[in-house]
Amino acid sequence: MTALLTEKALLTTVVDALGSPLGVVLPQRLADNVAAFRAVYSRHHLTGQIFYAHKANRSNALVRELAATDAGVDVASLAELQHALGAGVDPGRIVATGPKNREFLWLAARAGVIVGADSTAELAELASLVDEHGLPRTRVMVRLSGFASAGVHLDSRRSRFGVSATAFARAVNLIEEHAAALDLVGVAFHLDTIGMAEKALALEGCLTALDECRRRGLRPWSVDIGGGFGVDYLADAAQWDAYTSALTAAVLGKRTPLTWDGHGYGLRAEGGTVRGSLNLYPAHRPVSGAAYLDRLLGMDAPAQRRPLGALLLDNMCDLHIEPGRALLDQCGLVLAAVLEVRDEDNGDTVVRLDCNARDVSLEEHGVLMDPVVVHRGAPGGAGPVGVYLFGNLCLEADLISRRKVFLPSRPRAGDLLAFVNTAGYFMDFSATRALRQPIGRKVAMFRDDGGWRWCLDEQYWPIRVRTEAS
Amino acid sequence: MRIDSLTEAVGNTPLVRIDPAVHGLRHVDLFAKMELLNPFGSVKDRAAWTMARPLLDGAVQRGDTVVELSSGNTAKALAVIAGMHGLSFKSVTNRMRIPEIKDLLLLLGAEIDELPGQSECLDPTDAEDPLTRMHQRLSASGGGYVHTDQYFNGLNVDAHLQGTGPEIVKDLGGRAPDYFVACVGTAGSSTGVATALRRHNPDVRVLGLVADKSDFIPGIRTIDEVHHVGLFDPAVYDVIETITADDAIDGLLTLVRRCGTLAGPTGGGAYQGAVRHLRAVDAELTERRTAVFIVCDRVESYLSYLRERRPELFGQPPRRNSVRTLTDADVAEASTIGVAGAQRWVTQRRGIVIDLRSPVAYRALHIDGSINIVDELFAELLHGGLPFGRRQPVLLVCPVGEKSARYAALLRRMGHRDVSSLDGGIIAWRDAGGELVRD
Repeated sequence: MTALLTEKALLTTVVDALGSPLGVVLPQRLADNVAAFRAVYSRHHLTGQIFYAHKANRSNALVRELAATDAGVDVASLAELQHALGAGVDPGRIVATGPKNREFLWLAARAGVIVGADSTAELAELASLVDEHGLPRTRVMVRLSGFASAGVHLDSRRSRFGVSATAFARAVNLIEEHAAALDLVGVAFHLDTIGMAEKALALEGCLTALDECRRRGLRPWSVDIGGGFGVDYLADAAQWDAYTSALTAAVLGKRTPLTWDGHGYGLRAEGGTVRGSLNLYPAHRPVSGAAYLDRLLGMDAPAQRRPLGALLLDNMCDLHIEPGRALLDQCGLVLAAVLEVRDEDNGDTVVRLDCNARDVSLEEHGVLMDPVVVHRGAPGGAGPVGVYLFGNLCLEADLISRRKVFLPSRPRAGDLLAFVNTAGYFMDFSATRALRQPIGRKVAMFRDDGGWRWCLDEQYWPIRVRTEAS
Repeated sequence: MRIDSLTEAVGNTPLVRIDPAVHGLRHVDLFAKMELLNPFGSVKDRAAWTMARPLLDGAVQRGDTVVELSSGNTAKALAVIAGMHGLSFKSVTNRMRIPEIKDLLLLLGAEIDELPGQSECLDPTDAEDPLTRMHQRLSASGGGYVHTDQYFNGLNVDAHLQGTGPEIVKDLGGRAPDYFVACVGTAGSSTGVATALRRHNPDVRVLGLVADKSDFIPGIRTIDEVHHVGLFDPAVYDVIETITADDAIDGLLTLVRRCGTLAGPTGGGAYQGAVRHLRAVDAELTERRTAVFIVCDRVESYLSYLRERRPELFGQPPRRNSVRTLTDADVAEASTIGVAGAQRWVTQRRGIVIDLRSPVAYRALHIDGSINIVDELFAELLHGGLPFGRRQPVLLVCPVGEKSARYAALLRRMGHRDVSSLDGGIIAWRDAGGELVRD
């Protein structure tokens, strides 16, 4: 990505041709990210599937490139399933998760993908679909939630999804009653937390559930632990520490504000004391992605007091994971054109961009990353400048960042801002056509024959166009 | 000294002079206020007792549970005090990071509620701090709790304003020290002591120590976290300095090894921060000065914390017969047999089959006739010597044949003549359709 940012002519040409904003995906990076997770599997002698959580990006190129690796895809809608199948992902390497309508269930069963069921009702609906339409026996995983802890009461956020440990017996009854339609291959959890203790508890809870299955004569061999491995967006811990300290001081009024309208990102001052909690993604996360998985597998299970990786192996379990963000680390950026750079009377400088906060949804996800300025010519002024980034919606709240961003040099109208490392969730997850503003187009950029090449995202396949030698 | 309740023994801790040969300051007499000698083990005994005392009668009448947001010494002291009065205690915590404290609280009969970790996907509606969340829970529960509220309760400061501070003045012969050094946690002790000392001498210099954001020191807040504390008032401190976990551990080692003071990391941090600050001052001094720092609690609860950060302090001689001492060549020479061979081995009952997996996994499914000795136990046994005869045929089984090969190599090195490892482990056995049973 760093190399690509020096290709000014290429970047300005594609934005001029295809408009702003423009999503750029870098599919060639995926294989490295898959390999990093595989290395952790090897270290723990584990097998199992790495399912890319498709919801992190709508790109065609990324899924097609993944189809060429040994990874699978986690699809959470009918269209995502269609897309994964069309991209060439083997149905055996697809898992369908999330809330599902009948059409989604039908196609999942028809194609022979694994269905990750959220509830007993969903299993019942799937079984009746399979029976009525003469579909093949469908592999299912049951998502669990609400794991009970011993000793210390470990709270987890309430989840919309999954069956409780007590309801699990009912789910298994139903699977046994419909043994011709449903084949239980494993259990799953997905917790929206960065806390490892909660995940350790859940993983051990899954092993207990598998043991219950074995007692009943069933032979599921998989545990799917979902995603949430995270990304280290900011390598320098000191920068993150300095910024969060300064933000706290700003909330208390002890320094000049660092944010639009004194926004506190969850913090507020009450009688000289800070209340609330910092509602930002922890940008500096040295233990993230594959390293997070490694740490989790090395952690002792709370009850059995043996490392989770060893327990999975002892129980002959395959480990499935569903990373989204972590698998797309360094796999893309969003380019946006600068429409105007303006100095306000109060001393603030604003940069108005031809994109909105839904196109680069850093703010919505609480991730603070500085964009990189791509100048067409000379900078608009020497030295760094602190600016607010305004979007193109006729809406007070449309700020790309409520944080004052300090750019190393002043941009001019026509320059580009490159929002780096935004492939996972920040590129098109929230993009809308509000105000009939266009949704940004997307291109894939890749290195071939020693240079950068690009094509429209939908034109990308993991093979290279070759001209016949004359 | 005869007393009716141990709560009477809270406070009146000694003020001990640190040997100048240890701290090396030429013009400063450095004293440690030994709060670790409180009956429940820490400076928090004072605040806990002062805050709980007025609430106890009502709580006993109603049968309320005492509740506090604490992951450390306050919880410990309150759990003891609650127990002495026949009350339950519940500690709500963000994350309890010191396993010994957690175990101790459970031992004391406390209930521990751990709040969820930060969510991976941002939820913009979730902007509450643990304390606010706890207040919400308490009001939603419709009573049954008394909350001591250490971060906002003025009695937390009072305990030190009336107790710790005046005790220091009395022990210094009616004078306040020139310097007072304290780590900032709830800010109760530093605020209370500083206020009491300044009543005697407004020129007392107060040094507040906060933890570096890069690491965690139990009992000390970082510069950002202190702003969440209702009792924290920056005006109390002449200087606020940062100490790292490394500093705290260095100070702890000096106190425990040189000063007969079995201090925990907070006390260690206070010592190290005090000496660092005073060393700069000392160079300019011509007259004698006195300085006091607080030793908050005891070292024993932090052994795992220390082991994690300074494993070399716990260096033990390598144990004999350890798989760690095997070379790759040793492992390569271990005898292995494939699934088909192993199936014959088992049917012919050639010898013992030892399954090295965890007991729960073994119970779920195993090779018929095998016995289970989980690898950790097996390793322990082997440190002592061979647990069976050298000619006794043994087949070792683990998940993928990796650990079993290492143990086979070790047994061989120990002189065993007939040991094999199941190649590919029980997973290969399963994949080849081998029979697995549960009893």
